[in-house]
Amino acid sequence: MEGCPRNRETCPKLLDLIPQGRKWYHEEKKNSDQEKKLELRLGPPGVDEDDRSAMNTETRNNIKQQQNIKKESEDKSIFSLNGNHFSPSNKTTHVPHISHKRTAPGPVVGWPPVRSFRKNLASTSSSKLGNESSHGAQINKSGDGEKQVELKREGMFVKINMDSVPIGRKVDLSAYNSYEQLSFAVDNLFRGLLAAQRDTSGGEGEEKPIIGLLDGKGEFTLTYEDNEGDKMLVGDVPWQMFVSSVKRLRVIKSSEISSALRFGCSKQEKMRN
Amino acid sequence: MGWAFYNVPCSDTNTSLHPFSLAKGLVTSGRNTCTPYHSSTVKIPFVAILRTNLHQEMNYFPDEVIEHIFDSIASHRDRNSISLVSKSWHKIERCCRRRVFIGNCYAISPERLIGRFPCLKSLTLKGKPHFADFNLVPHEWGGFVHPWIDALARARVGLEELRLKRMVVSDESLELLSRSFANFKSLVLVSCEGFTTDGLASIAANCRHLRELDLQENEIDDHRGQWLNCFPDSCTTLTSLNFACLKGETNLSALERLVARSPSLKSLKVNRAVPLDALTRLMSCAPQLVDLGVGSYENEPDTESFAKLLAAIKKCTSLRSLSGFSEVAPLCLTAFYPICQNLTYLNLSYAAEIHGNHLVKFIQFCKRLQRLWILDSIGDKGLEVVASACKELQELRVFPSDLHDEEDNNAAVTEVGLVAISAGCRKLHSILYFCKQMTNAALITVAKNCPNFIRFRLCILEPNKPDHVTSQSLDEGFGAVVQACKGLRRLSVSGLLTDKVFLYIGMYAEQLEMLSIAFAGDTDKGMLYVLNGCKKLRKLEIRDSPFGNAALLADVDKYETMRSLWMSSCDVTLGGCKRLARDAPWLNVEIINENEDNGMERNEEDEREKVDRLYLYRTVVGTRNDAPSCVTIL
Repeated sequence: MEGCPRNRETCPKLLDLIPQGRKWYHEEKKNSDQEKKLELRLGPPGVDEDDRSAMNTETRNNIKQQQNIKKESEDKSIFSLNGNHFSPSNKTTHVPHISHKRTAPGPVVGWPPVRSFRKNLASTSSSKLGNESSHGAQINKSGDGEKQVELKREGMFVKINMDSVPIGRKVDLSAYNSYEQLSFAVDNLFRGLLAAQRDTSGGEGEEKPIIGLLDGKGEFTLTYEDNEGDKMLVGDVPWQMFVSSVKRLRVIKSSEISSALRFGCSKQEKMRN
Repeated sequence: MGWAFYNVPCSDTNTSLHPFSLAKGLVTSGRNTCTPYHSSTVKIPFVAILRTNLHQEMNYFPDEVIEHIFDSIASHRDRNSISLVSKSWHKIERCCRRRVFIGNCYAISPERLIGRFPCLKSLTLKGKPHFADFNLVPHEWGGFVHPWIDALARARVGLEELRLKRMVVSDESLELLSRSFANFKSLVLVSCEGFTTDGLASIAANCRHLRELDLQENEIDDHRGQWLNCFPDSCTTLTSLNFACLKGETNLSALERLVARSPSLKSLKVNRAVPLDALTRLMSCAPQLVDLGVGSYENEPDTESFAKLLAAIKKCTSLRSLSGFSEVAPLCLTAFYPICQNLTYLNLSYAAEIHGNHLVKFIQFCKRLQRLWILDSIGDKGLEVVASACKELQELRVFPSDLHDEEDNNAAVTEVGLVAISAGCRKLHSILYFCKQMTNAALITVAKNCPNFIRFRLCILEPNKPDHVTSQSLDEGFGAVVQACKGLRRLSVSGLLTDKVFLYIGMYAEQLEMLSIAFAGDTDKGMLYVLNGCKKLRKLEIRDSPFGNAALLADVDKYETMRSLWMSSCDVTLGGCKRLARDAPWLNVEIINENEDNGMERNEEDEREKVDRLYLYRTVVGTRNDAPSCVTIL
């Protein structure tokens, strides 16, 4: 096979270069530390690699991915400048690239090798509120264990607004363990207010129970805004997952669901709020 | 010809053996040697088949008798060997073959499968490569089951069982499946995706003789429809129902009615949406259950509910296997105390809510446990308790519980737990262990304690982490494992590793079939040691390791003996892959690119471009035509 001899010639050189690649890696790392500080990133100013607690996981992951991508493109440009030093092939430019990738401090794609539902498991458990703390059965570690239990006992209050009611309420999600309980709470919070609102148009002061919030059958439907800013229907995900991602609640008229979900409308609502 | 890599031996050892026992005592061989191995189905030790003598003797039997002999041989590999002995045996074997296993759905076509095995009843198919589990393979990569179901339907194969792993299944496929095979009995889907509960509804509604519907860790779009309602009232044959991976609500009354009319139901695994009281009712009408997967209940049950649950559980005296428990209050676990000493399989690896102490308190009474899947929140101390209590333990999996917390997790497991387990559980043969640190000394001790490992998968969470005591690489530790565990078939390595560990693996891991490498090795020599040394290697998957073209191209014929090779973020270049594809036309060499644009423009310069993801596999049907644009097949 004619390709082979050529390959064999280049191969020893390749192997020779790889041990040097290790040294490279050390030098290159130094550069990258400085580069890191100069890089554009998503976090607030002054945040660096170590200050992870300030960001939530998602922005952290985004930043890491951005950094990884940025590093790759910057590395290539740097080494193409120095390309002349390293005959015979461009392969050498990639060696430190690989070692750099190998020890990237941030989360690497597909590592550790667990299925995504296991990763979600951990994050929903670490944000679990309520009952567990009363049994001291926290997964989270001994060091911060007590502190975290304290924090969680304070409760998780989110704003809740209802269509046609100008005044909003706040509800403590940590006090509930299921959508049914939440739905019941919403009824408690707004039944009187809604009746008062409707009362102004004259007539009976009758208070009608607010039901059917979860199945779309009632006059109103419960929706929420999650941590990504999206408007979502309540009830799709397990309760704890919902609690960990909800930012505010909104009770909307079931008839307006289609309009509420239109992108433009939700944007307007966001701007209004 | 693709598959001709078994050589049937011709040595003459003993001529006076009865043909029946000879037929059962088969030999499979490696590429050029004759290596006896023990079939799991047979207790009789092996002898070499005499190609001429046995064949001639058995020819005096009518075909039906020979078929009957073959029927007692269950192992796929043994049956493959039988079919290679002679033309007549090939013919007899293929006509009576009922169960076929296809490890790579692109290695063969449905038409050829049906042509060879027309009497097929059970088919197992695997699609995407293993690393697809960790999001390294694009969703649209392939592994579509539809062409298979379509071909089987058109050929009127009497399919009764279909088992799929990592394949893309659509509602249309499920609908077609449900309508095409009157005797269809068993559907097992593992890590599949692409379908919704509507597809399940067709299966429920149309498969009159359905016995098993087992959905394990699939991505299913839950339309929250009434698929459980679709089981007709006449359906009373269910033996196994597992829908734990469904994310939406479940029609509880439909489920309860279904369970009530399924007296043969042995395995029931419900999803998160089945609350405690429903579970209690289910268990009450199915006390014959052997295998139970519980739903989730965030609240502590009140006294009355707890009492009812306890009463129901006490009646389930056949229960041997327990799983589920996602988002479960610890008290609910204690309800299972009455039957815990009967358990042989316990999977608490989703129970992120249950503190290590509670886990340990429960497990210490599970004296008959053989398989345990747990989270690392059990801690080293907990594993020590397991080691002293569970003397029958054969398989252990310890999963990481908190991947987002960078703080030092005191509750996680270390080498101490692993050593304790190896010391206490002498029957251990399979382990998957996620930990934060490891030492060579520990691995050496483990190897000494448990030389019977068949599967050894160690994942140290931080890549390249050395022995935390000596700061050396973990070559010696893993070396000890492969040297001591002569029957090792599957190995995953991690931590700081040089080429040396691969030298050890190549030298000692003679039975190794699957090897997973990540962030390891120094030069091409590492990969070469493995390719040259591990004669039985079938699957090799490598990521983020400095192996390049020299290793890839050194022995192209080797890949014909393997099912597949995966290399991602390594040093192989496009040029190397192109050369491989040229030299080995029996391989499909697939390059999976980051973005779709990369696929189109290729010039000479780009041949030196490193390939992001390479997946190659042997095939007898050439290039597949369903690859998406992000995949280039060379």
